[in-house]
Amino acid sequence: MNTIPITINDKKLDVDPAKTILEVCRENDIEILTMCHLKGIIDIGACRLCLVEIEGINKLLSACTTKVAANMVVKTSTERIKKYQRITAELFFAERNHVCSVCVANGKCELQQLGYKVEMDHIRYPHLFPHCEVDTSHPWYVMDHNRCIMCTRCVRVCNEVEGAHNWDVMNRGHQVRIISDFNTPWGESITCTSCGKCLHACPTGAIWPKAIVQGQLEKKPEIISELMEKRKMKL
Amino acid sequence: MKSDTAILSKELPKTDPRVKLIAAKMKKENYKPDALIEILHTAQNAYGYLPKEVLAYITKSLHLPPSRVFSTVTFYHFFSLKSKGEHTCIVCTGTACYVKGAQAILNRLEQKYSLKPGQVTPDNKLGIQVARCIGACGLAPAVVIDNDVQGKANAEEIIETINAKTGII
Repeated sequence: MNTIPITINDKKLDVDPAKTILEVCRENDIEILTMCHLKGIIDIGACRLCLVEIEGINKLLSACTTKVAANMVVKTSTERIKKYQRITAELFFAERNHVCSVCVANGKCELQQLGYKVEMDHIRYPHLFPHCEVDTSHPWYVMDHNRCIMCTRCVRVCNEVEGAHNWDVMNRGHQVRIISDFNTPWGESITCTSCGKCLHACPTGAIWPKAIVQGQLEKKPEIISELMEKRKMKL
Repeated sequence: MKSDTAILSKELPKTDPRVKLIAAKMKKENYKPDALIEILHTAQNAYGYLPKEVLAYITKSLHLPPSRVFSTVTFYHFFSLKSKGEHTCIVCTGTACYVKGAQAILNRLEQKYSLKPGQVTPDNKLGIQVARCIGACGLAPAVVIDNDVQGKANAEEIIETINAKTGII
């Protein structure tokens, strides 16, 4: 296999040129924060948390969508990156109505973990407090738009893994919402197969099964990654 | 969010010339899912807006997920899910027109027809919209009635033209 030399955080590595910076970092135990990335589904670079500095490029680039190149010099934890990560995390919290204490995902939420990681003690931006609906029409699951961060992991899992494409995104800007079919209640969707993959893909408490009490939610996003690995295997 | 499973299963009348127009366009595009935007354009021009049952018809014919079609429609400002009215009156509120009294025209129109920008009369005859500069600053204040630009507009003249076109007195 051809390898190319790259440098990440002063560490010299020989890597496969087909990989992204994020994949290389994950393999070499270099921490990169992510929200919209889920192994097994296509990366879109939406959350802007995995931004890295690359020597010779002024802009910060998202590690999940940037492929490695020969002699690339990457830095993953400079002051500039940390500053932006903190801003991004705060904006996530300011955009919708996130109340950890009453959330089903309390303690197991990736957004909550992110807040701790970036050492967020307060939010410097005014909260939008948008009016969001809670869709309980599905017999087994609930979609709570208050806790959605628009990572679109559910959309991609539904399309790429399940192949149902029940979810998509409507509107633009701060008015974006995840919708099922023609913005119909989830329970009346004609495309949903009730497989529950979106539930495991969701990083927060936005999609959860009914009959779960506060803080008791168990999510296993890794089952989707494992499923995609198994599909690649030749029998 | 409201239930409309019934709307989605409703068949469109095949004799409707607007439906024929959309059907012809879809056939021309070979029912390719990539041609969604072009087909939506045809539908928007035929109806003036995109009714849910038309979206359902396009979705079914192109074998696309309904959510994909809905997200495309809500992303682009050109597409509208609500009727804009049979006749439209667009008041330019760009800087030049604003200075020359676009707001006074809007106020007069609101007083006359009880319509705020973006609203349509209950009988769907007239809709009033605003635009951010239509590029006719030399003619400020400019008003567009059914694609005809009226330069150096005066509220009373505008009302006369609208009444003549829509039959509202």
